[in-house]
Formats: sequence, C-alpha cells, structure tokens
Amino acid sequence: MKATLAVLNQMQADGVIGAYAIGGAVGATFYLEPVATLDLDVFVLLKPATGSVLLTLSSIYDYLKARGHRIEGEYVIVEGWPVQFLPPAGPLEEEAITQSVQVEVEGVSVSVMTAEHLVAIALATGRAKDFSRILQFIEAGALDTARLDALLARHGLLAKWAGFGEKFLRDTP
Amino acid sequence: MSDWMRQILESKRAMRSRLASLPIAEKLALLEKLRGRSLAIRAARLARLTKPALKTP
Repeated sequence: MKATLAVLNQMQADGVIGAYAIGGAVGATFYLEPVATLDLDVFVLLKPATGSVLLTLSSIYDYLKARGHRIEGEYVIVEGWPVQFLPPAGPLEEEAITQSVQVEVEGVSVSVMTAEHLVAIALATGRAKDFSRILQFIEAGALDTARLDALLARHGLLAKWAGFGEKFLRDTP
Repeated sequence: MSDWMRQILESKRAMRSRLASLPIAEKLALLEKLRGRSLAIRAARLARLTKPALKTP
C-alpha cells in the first residue's frame, strides 16, 4: 500500500494529476477500524492535456502503462493494488479533494478526505454498504457534527440525512 | 436484549475501537491482510461454482 501511495505522489509531482484525495473504504480506514476492500478509490482533479480543454483519464492510464502498471477494466494495478481514479462527479467531490487532509504513512504524505466528506459522499451514493459505513463513523465518534451539518447543508443533503436518521438512528439513545 | 448479548456487543465495540486507534501504518497492514483473505474466499467460491456437477448414477 505504501508503494501505491508513493506512486500517487509521484504522479502529482510529474503533473499527471492535480490535487487528489483517497476516499472509499481505504479513506475510511484512516478514521475507523480497517474496512475490508479490494480496491483503492482515488478522487483526482484532472489537468487538461496540452492544447485541449477536455479532461480525461487517458493521460493517467498512459502514464501508468508506460511505467509497467497493468490496466484491468476501469482499474490500474499499481504496486499490487487495483486503483480506480475517479474525477469528481460534482461540487461535493471537488470540495472533498480540495479540503482533504495530509496524513503521514511511514514517511509518505498522502491526501485523505475528511471524515465528514467521506460520510457526505457515502450518504449521496446511498448503497447499503455506504449506510453501514456512515453508522460506523457515528459509532466511532469520528465526526465533527457542526462541520458535517454545514457540509450537508452546503450540498443539499440535509433531507437525505434526515431520512437516514429516521431509518437507522431512531432507536439510538 | 439479554445481558449475554449485550456483553458480546460491548466486547465487539471495544475491539473495533482498539483497532480504530492503531497507528495508520498498522491499520493499512491489516487492510492488506483483509484483502488477501477476501481474494482467497472469492477464489474458493469461484472454484466451487465452476466445478462440474456430479452425475447421479
């Protein structure tokens, strides 16, 4: 994993990607107990290719392929870990990248989404496993509630949050 | 909920809390192990699914 994270930093240093932030289960592991997963989700701000205004993932694939990393469907196998590069789907993911926090992992500095952004994205995604992860964050006391409330309000997720609370937290003391 | 079940849930909560407070490098090492196990389980399941069915005499 450390080697995979180092490749991300090198990609940024080489200008292939702009800012990035680790999300998904690996991102959650920075705040919770280790969360089983098969892949690494990396949200990236893409840089347009020279002479183009289009933002695509092809420059990422080309860069990694040229360095011997294998492409498998939507994943690139980077130092043994399948990595999925995800451009932001909207303002929430964009903010999650720009407001990510730096964490040191055995000498490698990595950008990780804040706990509140991970929860907001999980809420917006809305699969059963996302709801389960939100509950883990709540149970672990890993959230700054004022910060989360502001974030949810900013991104129009308060109604969804209320629905989540009604469904899953009604009997919680 | 019975006291017995409450104790089990409490011990699970305590273990999760202990794991959550480990240094991040240790947590990522555990993540690698979990991934290895998940892949092994998945491979075993696939092998079972692709095994030809036994013919009854």
